[in-house]
Amino acid sequence: MPEVLKAPLVVEFPFTRSLGPVQSAFLTGLRERVVLGVTTTDGRTLVPPVEYDPVTADDLRDLVEVAPTGTVTTWAWNHAPRRGQPLSTPFAWALVRLDGADTALLHALDAPGPDAVHTGMRVRIRWAEQRTGAITDIACFEPYDGDPAELTGSDGEFADPVAGIVAAARLDYTYSPGRAQTAYINSLADRRTVGERCPSCRKVYVPPRGACPTCGVPTAEQVEVGPRGTVTTFCIVNIKAKNLDIEVPYVYAHIALDGADLALHARIGGIPYDQVRMGLRVEPVWTDGARYPDHYRPTGEPDAGYDAYKELL
Amino acid sequence: MTRDIAVVAFAQTDVLRTTDELSEVEMLMPVLHSVLDRTGLKTADIGFTCSGSSDYLAGRAFSFTLALDGVGAWPPISESHVEMDGAWALYEAWTKLLTGDADTALVYSYGKSSPGSLRDVLTRQLDPYYVAPLWPDSVALAALQAQALIDSGDTDERELAAIGTRSRRVATLNSRAQLRGAIPQGDYVVRPLRTGDCPPVGDGAAAVILAAGERARDLCSRPAWIRGIDHRIEAHSLGVRDLTDSPSTRLAAERAGVFERPVDTAELHAPFSAQEVVLRKALRLDDSVRVNLSGGALAANPMMAAGLIRVGEAAARIHRGESDRALAHATSGPCLQQNLVAVLEGEPR
Repeated sequence: MPEVLKAPLVVEFPFTRSLGPVQSAFLTGLRERVVLGVTTTDGRTLVPPVEYDPVTADDLRDLVEVAPTGTVTTWAWNHAPRRGQPLSTPFAWALVRLDGADTALLHALDAPGPDAVHTGMRVRIRWAEQRTGAITDIACFEPYDGDPAELTGSDGEFADPVAGIVAAARLDYTYSPGRAQTAYINSLADRRTVGERCPSCRKVYVPPRGACPTCGVPTAEQVEVGPRGTVTTFCIVNIKAKNLDIEVPYVYAHIALDGADLALHARIGGIPYDQVRMGLRVEPVWTDGARYPDHYRPTGEPDAGYDAYKELL
Repeated sequence: MTRDIAVVAFAQTDVLRTTDELSEVEMLMPVLHSVLDRTGLKTADIGFTCSGSSDYLAGRAFSFTLALDGVGAWPPISESHVEMDGAWALYEAWTKLLTGDADTALVYSYGKSSPGSLRDVLTRQLDPYYVAPLWPDSVALAALQAQALIDSGDTDERELAAIGTRSRRVATLNSRAQLRGAIPQGDYVVRPLRTGDCPPVGDGAAAVILAAGERARDLCSRPAWIRGIDHRIEAHSLGVRDLTDSPSTRLAAERAGVFERPVDTAELHAPFSAQEVVLRKALRLDDSVRVNLSGGALAANPMMAAGLIRVGEAAARIHRGESDRALAHATSGPCLQQNLVAVLEGEPR
């Protein structure tokens, strides 16, 4: 078996998230170097604050300031920081119960080494220089030897509160399409379209995904199909897609290649958009260096009859 | 309507560090055929199908719909999916059978973690406001839990190492496991957890078939009857929880009837060594119970399948007459956040 194809795949997205009243106050507070908790109906103070009590599900709205100093309740030494984490030098992850709070907040603790960290040690917040109203406004915690720090006296009301956060996320993968699709893509590089036949129902799937969805069995027998085919159905695209250099309107169609039992989809060119029709016979148009057909164009053959493709609609 | 429902068949793949040559459906299909073969059922005979998987693992959008090709889902079948471990897909299938809408169910799940960086991928399941922006990886969070257990006197690093060592030693009898035999305890990954305290990252799939009443007896000589099954979740904020305990596991176990009579076997889904300490305490397991004879998650932990495998392993021991009453546990989320417990029984021999 030839080597399966592999390629880097980066999935990256900025999530825009709106905040409720409690989260907004907390994150706005961080921007102003104020730490707010929320008081529960049974008198506990939750930091970081949440909008609903995790035990009783009560609505929580009573904000209360707590100190930027606190005590480590558990920790873990991270000698090899990873992308996106708060510090790029070795640090401790720590849950810290801030003075005045009954619950602990997760963040990084900047310390010279694991021997300098222990549960019960006193720490304080080191604020980020640039603060926007996000959990990263806390740069990290740092060791602190002293009593609870003074409160600012904030009532939890701030000018220009943050209403949302944009959380960037990026995950890196090495993508492999597996055996069947590797074979399909490799054939396309030779300008051939190769599907796979189901050993049970004999249908030919293009592109092949390695299994017959009707029979639930692996497909393996490779079958070259096309290059010509029949338009089974189509639509007219009137809105220009971002980063796509194709004039609208254009036609996007399902095409049943000769010998295939599943229609694939592609753009139709070489014919005015309003003349494309079901049954139109088409062939692929390749461009230099491309790994798949740029589009399909009419062959000039007479149209296929409806009965010839009705099972493929 | 009350019906007795049993696990009547179980199959799993070898769990491997990479499976580049296989798409997810290609990885899954042999397991589906294997589990069907064990009962003589065909896809068309199955009343309900439920699967568990996560597109984030392989970075492949809608992979669960492609995986359905392996079931033979056309013409349309009665089907559902959970973005969770397959143990929760099994729970949904169990409820479906309870309603009487179906007499048999196929449950499968798979995880292909090798294309991505699992430690980072799992940060995306965390609280998006306060936690995920810090990218605390899965080992780091488990290490916070381990340190809390050490501080509380529940365990120490030597005992944790022994849990990993025992898991991989018994896994020598499990040809499907990824890590078998003596594996060095290794260096700290995130202190106090060392390599040996962490699960291997691997790709794998599993499937079980459930059947109700007489149908179960037709399909299996000794069905593993589900006497109780329940799942519970804890608050998502780690700083609110007592990480040295698992009240959700204990409550699920109570509701599943674990404490009514002793179990002889337990399959625990404890991906990190310290989590086995928490679970043994919550489930009150003493040395009379055979725990993780499969090797557990420290020997093979295919994401989304490892919990279903615990149910399958427990059921298979009942099928083979090696257990009469077994506990199966599955977990999901950081630091044992959500837990499912099932009690399986074989009829007297």
